[in-house]
Amino acid sequence: MLNRRTVVKGALAAPIAATSVGIGFNPAVMAQDGPIVVGSKDFTEQFILGNMYLLVLEDLGLETDASLNLGGTQIAHQALESGDISLYPEYTGTALVEVLGLSVEEVLAEASSATPVADASPSASPVAGGTNAEYVYNIVRDAYQEQFNLTWLAYSPANNTQALAVSREYSEESGVTTISQLAEVAADLTISAPADFPEREDGLLGLQRMYAAGFEDIEVLPVQPGLKYQALLDGEAEVVLAFGTDGQISGYDLVVLEDDLGLWPPYNVAPVVQTDLLDANPDIAARFNEVTTSLTDAVLSDLNWQVDGDDGADPADVARQYLEDNGFIGG
Amino acid sequence: MDTLREVLEFYRERPDEVLELAWIHTELSLIALAIGSAIFVPLGILFARWTAGGSAAVGVVASLRVIPSIALIFLFYPLLGFGYQPALVALTILAGPPLILNTYAGMRQVDAAVLEAARGVGMNPAQVFFKVHLPLALPVIIAGMRSASVEIFASATLASFIGVRTLGQYIVTGISLLDTTYLLAGGLLIVALVLSAEIILGGVERLVRVPAA
Repeated sequence: MLNRRTVVKGALAAPIAATSVGIGFNPAVMAQDGPIVVGSKDFTEQFILGNMYLLVLEDLGLETDASLNLGGTQIAHQALESGDISLYPEYTGTALVEVLGLSVEEVLAEASSATPVADASPSASPVAGGTNAEYVYNIVRDAYQEQFNLTWLAYSPANNTQALAVSREYSEESGVTTISQLAEVAADLTISAPADFPEREDGLLGLQRMYAAGFEDIEVLPVQPGLKYQALLDGEAEVVLAFGTDGQISGYDLVVLEDDLGLWPPYNVAPVVQTDLLDANPDIAARFNEVTTSLTDAVLSDLNWQVDGDDGADPADVARQYLEDNGFIGG
Repeated sequence: MDTLREVLEFYRERPDEVLELAWIHTELSLIALAIGSAIFVPLGILFARWTAGGSAAVGVVASLRVIPSIALIFLFYPLLGFGYQPALVALTILAGPPLILNTYAGMRQVDAAVLEAARGVGMNPAQVFFKVHLPLALPVIIAGMRSASVEIFASATLASFIGVRTLGQYIVTGISLLDTTYLLAGGLLIVALVLSAEIILGGVERLVRVPAA
């Protein structure tokens, strides 16, 4: 497979290189028609990551353009597939379920019964001991390369999983710390979530199927994603659909309930990039990997909170500050 | 055709949810239209009678139409919080411009000679207003309610951003999953609701039209 790809790549690159040189383009961007377009979805963490990618690319002396705030996964993915954008940050679990249409249960069941086909590396042994992250990553990485000619660079240690969160007060009063326990009382509760939550397999449908009981009757308060936590603070809802690295979780002292039956796959984030772009600019991968592997849960929720908390900082400023403080740019 | 079949299948799979969302959507919209009419039709009449500033006031109202409805929905969130009431307030305000503009135009377009004749046959001001002026303006006022209802039914979709489960649920899901079945399932129902409102109000409009002598 590697060989075939190399041949195809070579065949494509030759004429492009010829024209580029003819017009006098910088050879570093010869596979590009114009600036490298960085995309992102429509929430804080994506804005911060998108800005980090822009800053690193600029630091490499490449011409960039931003197309942040592309809406949901499908829109961002289509933009990437069609070449309207060159890269965007994506989560492994999201790619697995929403883009590749695979079921988490099936994938993980397969993982425990067989040696992973995806990767020969012995460390990729699945499921046990929290190595799901790597297992799922390998599946999406290989599938993306094969189906879309897109490359997943290294993934973050941070796992921005979907989660249900409640206030610490509620958790202590009711003793609820897992989703199973919540399911028993869910019929009397209201959950604050984006309006598509009741329709999604990785949302309420999945909760109903896996945890059954009260999730059939839980009331859904549909809100714009940016207002999710506000509904909880206003007392309009007891439960909020959270993301693991949301700054609000520690900011508002919330308790993330344990997904004890394992509805949600791991959601580690990585830049997904046009393979041609990486071939034309070999420096990008190493620089991006350096940044991504530094992003732990604590780092990301702290960065998110700088934007979403009282500081109300600009995602671009937060991204720049982090990269500069850690010597990832301007060195 | 296949897509249409998928949409019908979608409705068949979950009739209860579809009906529930369509009902909340309709109820919210109709209440907003009723409250809006009760407030803005009289306001339009006042503007029509206010010779000095009426046309300037109407100009200001007309310019307010450029505020996108999505902005309006969020504008009231900090004041009123989540749920039915803030959505109702926003949708009611949205009905303001079409109602005021049409009422103003309807009242102003009545021929001054007709009103003069009414006074000439001995009607008092209240009689002139209720028996002649208002009936003659009514078809245009109801046309205003028709365009207001289009705005309201379409914008009730956005109530799904501030805590009301309307047909917006299907639209939001359709956008996030990029699923045309969801988009059409929600969109077609909203179109059907708007068309029903159009047909009903159009019928009313014909009923109240004074036949030309």
